[in-house]
Amino acid sequence: MGKVVINNLTSGMVLGADVRDRSGRLLLGAGTEFNDKNIYILRTWGVIEVDIAGAENDSVNSKSSCHIDPVRFAAIEKKVAPLFRHTNLNHPAIKELLQMRIMREAEYVDH
Amino acid sequence: MSITDIPQVYNLERLISQTESVYSLPLIYERLTEVINHPRSSIEDITRVISNDQGLAARLLKLANSPLFGYFSKIDSIDKAATIIGTQQLQSLALAVSVIEIFHEVPEDLVNMRTFWQHSIACGITARALAIYRREANVERIFAAGILHDIGRLVICTAMPDIFTRMLMASREKFSLLFNLESEFLGYTHAAVGGKLLEKWRIPASIAEPVACHHSPDKARVFPLETAFVHLADIMCKSLGIGSNGEGYVPPLEESSWERIDIPPAALPEIVKHVEPQLAETISILGGKA
Repeated sequence: MGKVVINNLTSGMVLGADVRDRSGRLLLGAGTEFNDKNIYILRTWGVIEVDIAGAENDSVNSKSSCHIDPVRFAAIEKKVAPLFRHTNLNHPAIKELLQMRIMREAEYVDH
Repeated sequence: MSITDIPQVYNLERLISQTESVYSLPLIYERLTEVINHPRSSIEDITRVISNDQGLAARLLKLANSPLFGYFSKIDSIDKAATIIGTQQLQSLALAVSVIEIFHEVPEDLVNMRTFWQHSIACGITARALAIYRREANVERIFAAGILHDIGRLVICTAMPDIFTRMLMASREKFSLLFNLESEFLGYTHAAVGGKLLEKWRIPASIAEPVACHHSPDKARVFPLETAFVHLADIMCKSLGIGSNGEGYVPPLEESSWERIDIPPAALPEIVKHVEPQLAETISILGGKA
């Protein structure tokens, strides 16, 4: 069982553990099979990641960098990195934000 | 350089009292606060006050019907908005609208007002989204604090344009954060200026403190979580390059604020996805002409 980010959920995946909101209310029980509808519902509830039976943990940033050519990724990273010079690039939140910026720049150039 | 070439630096008190004499909150906001705080006033009283200002009423209605709220049925009157959104919430929205209006006339040569409000409004929406994600109540005051977090910078660049230009140049030459240069040149930052001005205007501390401490969230004594939302939202918008507030770099993230907000890093792209559809319309409602 591993944590999967909601964006990477697909129909047919099986929920490995109960999903509860902050107050402990049950939103979706373990064993539920995902379909478009309950993925949508989880999203409106603000759920970010869930435990999926038989899956591996989504590592942070794994999904965002996989669609882009590594050479291009490095070039954009080099361009935007100076903006982040006063931040701690080892911090998981900053890492994620830098990735998001790089992806935004990549999309912007694509369109 | 002789001593007369050094542009005048105002101390914080002087800057605020000077600003206060030029920019004052519209009377309608004070009237609104009065009726909302009055124990016997009704929705009709509140509606009557807001409807006195057609521009404000129109913007509030547009906001209520925008993707920010995402209501299915149309909210076509202020009393409906007050009932559905809540009077306290409406008051926070009215504050944001009023302050944007006040600073509409700031000279554009040093700060591009379009991108300035883009950054500010995006920060407001992001701080609000973080609060919604954490299931906080009364998120509109966090929205207002996010929108107003950089107003101190407008005050500084209007009152001391020469010093502001020097700071911008120094920031580029030394690769320094602009708010650190403000401390160095002036002895205070735009955050302190914004917080003080809001305090002078008798804006609630739940909005003034997050503004005053958005670069030093550890100093927030009463509203540390609200401050943390604005602190992180500012960093998020800066990281993603949404709008511009004159600052050249992404400000450092305080670990204590990150821990206080307590969300997984993977939530950040989700929150931005939630924010993006709300951006364009909110910016055009708040930033455009009425």
